[in-house]
Amino acid sequence: MIFSKSYCPHSARVKELFSSLGVAFNILELDKIGCVHAHQSGLLQTLLEEKSHASAYDYDLIVIGGGSGGLSCAKEAAIWGKKVMVLDFVVPSPHGTFWVKHNWETMIEAIQKHIGSLNWHYKSSLREKAVTYVNSYGEFVADHKIKATNKKGQEAYFTAANFVIATGERPRYLGLPGDKEYCITSDDLFSLRHSPGKTLVVGASYVALECAGFLIQQLESGSPGKLKVVAKSTEGRETIEDIYNTVLLAIGRESCTRKLGLEKIGVKINESDIAASIMLCSIRFPQESELKATVGATCDYVNVPTTVFTPLEYGCCGYAEEKAAEVYSKKNLEVYHTLFWPLEWTVADRDNNTCYAKIICNRLDNDRVIGFHIFGPNAGEITQGFAAAMKCGLTKQLLDNTIGIHPTCGEVFTSLEITKSSGLDISQKGC
Amino acid sequence: MARYVDVRVSGFQEFNQAVEQHKGKTIFAYFTGSKDAEGKSWCPDCELAEPVVLDGLKHIGEGCVFIYCQVGERPYWKDPNNDFRKQLKVTAVPTLLKYGKPQKLVESECLQASLVEMIFSEE
Repeated sequence: MIFSKSYCPHSARVKELFSSLGVAFNILELDKIGCVHAHQSGLLQTLLEEKSHASAYDYDLIVIGGGSGGLSCAKEAAIWGKKVMVLDFVVPSPHGTFWVKHNWETMIEAIQKHIGSLNWHYKSSLREKAVTYVNSYGEFVADHKIKATNKKGQEAYFTAANFVIATGERPRYLGLPGDKEYCITSDDLFSLRHSPGKTLVVGASYVALECAGFLIQQLESGSPGKLKVVAKSTEGRETIEDIYNTVLLAIGRESCTRKLGLEKIGVKINESDIAASIMLCSIRFPQESELKATVGATCDYVNVPTTVFTPLEYGCCGYAEEKAAEVYSKKNLEVYHTLFWPLEWTVADRDNNTCYAKIICNRLDNDRVIGFHIFGPNAGEITQGFAAAMKCGLTKQLLDNTIGIHPTCGEVFTSLEITKSSGLDISQKGC
Repeated sequence: MARYVDVRVSGFQEFNQAVEQHKGKTIFAYFTGSKDAEGKSWCPDCELAEPVVLDGLKHIGEGCVFIYCQVGERPYWKDPNNDFRKQLKVTAVPTLLKYGKPQKLVESECLQASLVEMIFSEE
């Protein structure tokens, strides 16, 4: 099964390679059907049905990887009466951490317990649907055959008519000598035996910001070894030199397709392979009724709401200002914005002007809201609601006609007046 | 020497003593409504689950401990402040759990042989 886009040159090369090797394959052109979830479009079901008479194999479907993608796929196939196996295995990070119990925060223990009970819940709900869930590392050894190795190194072999690779991503390392020995990643953070102490976070996207936000709330002098870091700016002469207890790498994630034995069945690996043009945890658990209904439905990749869960959250849906200007041209846009002060921040010395709300409107389309941005408490919750409104074609006028709930943060969006282009002051003077 | 240790207790105090006695080992606990003189429990689900659970013991790991615990009479169990509920967070019978871990099977889950096998055999 190749997940591809019709216009993508990498996909074209993979298809050519398969053809030249004479390996049979199915293609799912994501830009044509629009939806990332093959099983939602009904294609997976069709594939499985085609081969259901092939009882020569142990299973109808083996899913490699028990994350959100793998599990929902396995469950769906099981509901259709297929014999399914899921192979799930957490390869220890170079620091060899599994879910180790430790003492640096009681909260960490609670997190581990929660994860443990979630995992157990997933496993038992799979088992209830007669999906065989195995805690082993799966890799291909021959056509239609995989080897499953468990924690103890015991090997077992299974065959299936079809396979789904849902191994997801793991954090990327720097690719420098010593990076695995001296640096940790988000994988390690929640199983550290000690408080990380003074930490340098490398990276500035979701994972980096959220980890930093989490750590800042746990300020404690750490006991781990000291690391001297020298950093040089790529844009100037500035150098930073400091000593840290911990260096946390959050510089992106890469797909785990390298050690699956894919070369043994003639599959060459490309960069960023696993079908994830959006590398986020945006959840969609398909209902049975949706399976047929979503055939041919377009999946909107622009209006995907997201949130960075830093101590003060940032939520957004639609375009960033820069991107909107690229797509629609700056003159066709009107940006409304304001700083705001959540009423619940009653502490006198808390700055009135920390939280920020912004919408980007397309003047050529009834002032359609094409970008929504909020930085403030509960931004995630707020963004979820407005994302639905944007799907319904929210315009500035509709927003203005919406009655605000007082006192909430979200209500600022119903009374936005100042445009960015006016240059007027948006700071708040107090309640 | 038996592959695993089988302990039968009645009531919360005896249960805790058994746990203390086998500290450091992997402990599985099965909670059932207490049985009458004829050996029958007031809890009908427990009657159905018991043979499944006891049969599932063939999957239990070497050196593990299996505590079979009768919780008490029906009125005691229905009291929302009973010790099992308050201190162990066991709120239903039958319950089969791995002590100190998140693995737990509750009520109808105990009737499913595949789930029972999974909880006993998991590393």
